Amino acid sequence: MTFSKRSLITLLILAIILGASYYFFATRGITYIWHWEKIPEMLFYHGAKSAEDAVPRLRMGILMIGFVLTLKISVFSILFAIIIGTIVGIARLSNEPVTKGLSLAYVEVIRNTPLLVQIYIIYFFVGSLLRLSAFAAGTAALSIFAGAYVGEIVRAGIQSIHKGQMEASRSLGMGYAQAMRYVILPQAFKRIIPPLAGQFISLIKDSSLVSVIALADLMFQGQQAVARTYHAFEIYFTVAFLYLVMTFTLSMATQYIERRLAISD
Amino acid sequence: MIEARNVYKTFKTPDRREVKALVDFSTRIEKGEVVVIIGPSGSGKSTFLRCLNRLEEIDSGEIIIDGIDIYGKKVNINEIREEIGMVFQLFNLFPHKTVLENVTLAQLVVRGRDKEEATKVARGLLRKVGILEKESVYPSQLSGGQQQRVAIARALAMHPKIMMFDEATSALDPEMIGEVLDVMKTLAREGMTMVVVTHEMGFAREVSDRVVFMDEGQIVEEGTAEHFFTNPTHERTKLFLSQIL
Repeated sequence: MTFSKRSLITLLILAIILGASYYFFATRGITYIWHWEKIPEMLFYHGAKSAEDAVPRLRMGILMIGFVLTLKISVFSILFAIIIGTIVGIARLSNEPVTKGLSLAYVEVIRNTPLLVQIYIIYFFVGSLLRLSAFAAGTAALSIFAGAYVGEIVRAGIQSIHKGQMEASRSLGMGYAQAMRYVILPQAFKRIIPPLAGQFISLIKDSSLVSVIALADLMFQGQQAVARTYHAFEIYFTVAFLYLVMTFTLSMATQYIERRLAISD
Repeated sequence: MIEARNVYKTFKTPDRREVKALVDFSTRIEKGEVVVIIGPSGSGKSTFLRCLNRLEEIDSGEIIIDGIDIYGKKVNINEIREEIGMVFQLFNLFPHKTVLENVTLAQLVVRGRDKEEATKVARGLLRKVGILEKESVYPSQLSGGQQQRVAIARALAMHPKIMMFDEATSALDPEMIGEVLDVMKTLAREGMTMVVVTHEMGFAREVSDRVVFMDEGQIVEEGTAEHFFTNPTHERTKLFLSQIL
């Protein structure tokens, strides 16, 4: 109890110092007139959109539209990254040289080249060949990128399960795939939730790179809004805060899942 | 029921030395027989068990179970394993599943029983090993002896023809050894074919039909438990027995 009281006071003092220095440097250091009042309408506004859609109602502002797209691309990419990562993680442990070699090559190539370059290659080269939309290309690039990291996490997770688990499953007559599905992977996934959460938080933040292929994500819309209004500080702070909302929610969700799964410990 | 003929098995150590685990190993185990395998550590007794359900692959020779050469090319090893229950030194229960789920899982996915039937079989066996009241807890909440009894129930749930015990009581606290041995004795009396690697001489004396003493991958001496306790013939056997008794 004394501890929490003390840390509360520490936090309060820290907040006051931060707040004071923020105002000092932001207003004295440079000449900048703050227009925080312009931000709410970039999130939600009430009114007409255009001449064709003139019905006045509550609509999403430019930043909120970007937020939704970032959320969408992140959710899809996380789902695909889990699928790719699980397959690659199992393939990395295969005794079959071709499967093992290919999965290793994938992991090494993807982990050792910049995501930005991968996005360009997938959008301009692969995307043109397969006629992918910017959204599909962006999702593909992020999934393939994160999939390589998730693959390594899954592999480490599987290897961390005692080999007696596989032996017990096999001795009961389960095939390799059944043992993986019912015994090994459920235990491995429970163990790799913390590193997976870190990876997916990275993915959400990395998704800001898809703005380079003209996908109107949160970052892209932020840049547009800055270009139009010149309220760079307010908008970028807001953009950062919106990313924080997504990543922090994910953090909390994984901690909740961890606690739920801890009942068998 | 089980016949091993001229089995060789070699392990490679990380520093590339070869360790001979089984050397020209042959034996027969009849239906309903309870065979206890004893021997110093590294003598190949666990390896022999693990070769019987192909958790290890043999280098040469053959192992025939119920008339099937289990190392034959067309053999589906999973079907063979359904008939051979195995109990491990470290229990190897599934920690993410409850006691009941541990016993039903393989019934559901391997035997294809429906949930109701699998649960009925599981409850019957959990009652038999005296642990039915714990069916909805997780393995981590059980003592070692309780975990091992669940592991035995899990293996029995497949209705195997053979049960193998690989030092099933070696990892237990002394006061829990009895409860596991009691279950094993009950099985032996019911006529189960059992291959038991153990250091429990009391168990050997009470229920075994034959005791096999192994050293350096070979059978040194075999006979009834009575023979081992009264007049073992080989020096190595005498030395080993003097150390463990």
